Amino acid sequence: MSNVVPSGQPTGPYAPTPGRAQPASPVGRVVRQASDGWHEFAGRFDAQRVPLAGAGAALVVAGSFLPWAAFSGFPGKMTLSGYPGGVRAYCLALVVFAAFAFHRRAGGDAAGEVASLGMLVVTLYTVLAIAVEGGGLVNVAVGGWLCLVGSVLLLAAFGSQPRDEVVEPLPPGSVWLQLLAIVVVIGLMLMLVVEGLSIEASNQFVAFLVAIAFFLLAAARVGVTAWFQAASERQRMITIVAALLSAAVFPFTQAGSNYWLRVAASVGVFAAVVVGLNIVVGLAGLLDLGYVAFFGVGAYVGASLSGAEASNLDVHLPFLVVLVIGALVAAGFGIAIGAPTLRLRGDYLAIVTLAFGEIFRIAANNLDGTAGPKITNGPNGIPGVPNLELPGGFNFGDSHELFGIELAYFANYFWAELVLLVFVILVFVRLNNSRVGRAWVAIREDETAAAAMGVNTTRLKLLAFAIGAFLAGAAGTLNAHLTTQVSPDSYKFDESILLLAAVVLGGMGTIGGALLGSAAIVVIPEKLRFVEEKRILLFGVALILMMRFRPEGIVPNKRRQREFHDDTSGADATSAPPGSPVATA
Amino acid sequence: MSQFAQQLVNGVVLGALYGLIALGYTMVYGIIQLINFAHGEVFMVGAFGGLAFQRYVLPDGTPAGIALVLVLLAAIMTSVATALVIERFAYRPLRNAPRLAPLITAIGVSLFLQEMVRLYYFGGGAKNEQNFPQYITGGFRVAGVRVSYIDLFVVIVAIGLMLALSAFVRKSRTGKAMQATAQDRDTAQLMGINTDRIIVVAFILGAALAGVAGVMQGLQVGTVGFKMGFLAGIKAFTAAVLGGIGNIAGAVLGGFVLGLVEVMATQYVPGRFGGGAWKDVWAFVVLIVILVFRPQGLLGERVVNRA
Repeated sequence: MSNVVPSGQPTGPYAPTPGRAQPASPVGRVVRQASDGWHEFAGRFDAQRVPLAGAGAALVVAGSFLPWAAFSGFPGKMTLSGYPGGVRAYCLALVVFAAFAFHRRAGGDAAGEVASLGMLVVTLYTVLAIAVEGGGLVNVAVGGWLCLVGSVLLLAAFGSQPRDEVVEPLPPGSVWLQLLAIVVVIGLMLMLVVEGLSIEASNQFVAFLVAIAFFLLAAARVGVTAWFQAASERQRMITIVAALLSAAVFPFTQAGSNYWLRVAASVGVFAAVVVGLNIVVGLAGLLDLGYVAFFGVGAYVGASLSGAEASNLDVHLPFLVVLVIGALVAAGFGIAIGAPTLRLRGDYLAIVTLAFGEIFRIAANNLDGTAGPKITNGPNGIPGVPNLELPGGFNFGDSHELFGIELAYFANYFWAELVLLVFVILVFVRLNNSRVGRAWVAIREDETAAAAMGVNTTRLKLLAFAIGAFLAGAAGTLNAHLTTQVSPDSYKFDESILLLAAVVLGGMGTIGGALLGSAAIVVIPEKLRFVEEKRILLFGVALILMMRFRPEGIVPNKRRQREFHDDTSGADATSAPPGSPVATA
Repeated sequence: MSQFAQQLVNGVVLGALYGLIALGYTMVYGIIQLINFAHGEVFMVGAFGGLAFQRYVLPDGTPAGIALVLVLLAAIMTSVATALVIERFAYRPLRNAPRLAPLITAIGVSLFLQEMVRLYYFGGGAKNEQNFPQYITGGFRVAGVRVSYIDLFVVIVAIGLMLALSAFVRKSRTGKAMQATAQDRDTAQLMGINTDRIIVVAFILGAALAGVAGVMQGLQVGTVGFKMGFLAGIKAFTAAVLGGIGNIAGAVLGGFVLGLVEVMATQYVPGRFGGGAWKDVWAFVVLIVILVFRPQGLLGERVVNRA
């Protein structure tokens, strides 16, 4: 285990405190140096920090109420004065947060600094966007400049204090406080989602995302996120129910509009598949590169047994039966692929699943009656899959009116996806907390040691693989109804990669990560049209960067985080000081 | 009979290409136990590098022979440069990371290279297949079997390079250091071998062969596309596993066996599963069968499962 601390550490008042890990990468060192230099510079204004912060905040607040753009083409109400719409509202929110953080407690300076940095980034981005769109900096009106100057002043005020990195955890507080926080946060999340989806301009959407990211970072600096995480763990059932409720009311926020419901329904199905893949990759540590093929198997089974006219099987079974059959067939394929390869090193699995994905695509394209038996209709696929129908005569294609809001097609499917997603999450959570889940983690971290401890590694890996395939197959049968058709193009290698990207970006082995990752991967190309064509490129870069700088993902699994960082000792405070050998987590 | 001989020729040519690419997989895997998924893309980038050299650097009317040699060199340089950058900035920082991390990085690199060529290749991206210049034309007939000069060139160059590589690894000082590093990296380091350098050498050699293979594929097929590395990569990896991964002679043998199996299956599998549509499937079936019955490959030794 290498635990090398680079020599030549900086000295002086801003030298790293003991226990502060030295970044191992050159990029990390440059960032650290730049940040130390900045703090040394800002430290000169220590005496003036209160007037600086006051002036900065005043400027930002004033700027928020003044127009930012000199022309009316720029969206987000940037030309109006007297009402902080769009990006200006984000700056206002950040400055309120910064004011709250000011001198409140340990870490408050750091939080204020992050918030004002976020403000600076958002303002700078918007000012540049206005300049680019309007054709010159002339088009930036007084509000933009005021906010820009104000955020620089705030940044200097907060940056003038030396960093105290140790933030004591907040007291847990009463149960009522925790419940209140959970309800407020989840309600806020729903509001943010609705707000974010209603933003039409891509510039404003980027600013929105950046503002949220900095807000979360700042909240983490004062220990609020850690507190909330602990509270939501303590009140787990309540959190889950509240989150579910807020997801379930989402269709009502769309006021009968179908566009985002369609997207939300595809997020639902995508997330179900991603959580399934997360069992295979995140829990058991098996890299499956052909996962979408299992999804495809389920979809083809679902379409073939749905009574669609183009189906080559003249069978129409009730949906729940089809769901189980599709899932079982997919699981059968999973076992057939996994059994020979899972006895071997994990790397082989990656390539065999890749090959299986290709075989599936080729087979789906060729089982059309000329090059093979007529099962899939080749490139045409199976169109015209009928809508789902519940035994009571509830047809998913019909509109239904509830509380005065018309809920059509996609809302019905959205709820069906939600039920599926909850089922998949339940499977994930129950497995993760079971004997099987612990055995998977043992296999993932050291297969030889796990086998020596009596874990039947081959059988358990096969189980993970089969369960993953089963869940993907189940999701596939539902998806066949949602999209009303199946065709080979929907189950290409690219799709497997998107699934993997969602797992890796969100965080391997966590539910929150899988949900966040799938939402990001479906919604971002939808929102930022200019990303659409480059999305594979961007996800490729994201995979490389994530593995390099944050392999545990955006929402890390604690155990996983230590596993990835066990030789840098930077991830948690409990690890040994640099120089002494670090125990492997 | 002449049909069989014809397929034999086709299979050998295909196998020579697979073998060339497989060598890159096998050398890197032998030394750092990493499946370099991006190797197929290094091959693709090499072909595109050669093509760019022909299009934008070579003056019109360069004699075909000289042009071919220069294009080959350009392809090698592009591939090697790409592989060096990947090794330095994507793989090396993850040398001691858990096993999943470099695999995912490799996939990321592979996507990145494909998309860079697709979107940003000279002249507005290479979204469609690009025509590759044909330097060698014509052929001859022996006993009813058609052999084009390109086929002959591909096989001769491939076998020549394989022999040269094998001699290099067995005889030269660096080659011996590679063998030592493959056997036990830590001990090799203790013996004074700069293992970082050896790993770089393995990447360079593999990339150079892949660059040559890229040009050859361009000559043989007549076109190159940003997707060509994907299938070629999986097939070559199959060849490497077939021969016994980590084993240089095995990669070559595996390449030829796989090429022959693919060609023969296309020709001789009866019924509807024969023919071109299913040829890739047969290659993968071979991979799975090998993993079931002889996971160490044809020439490989049983490897200890390292954690």
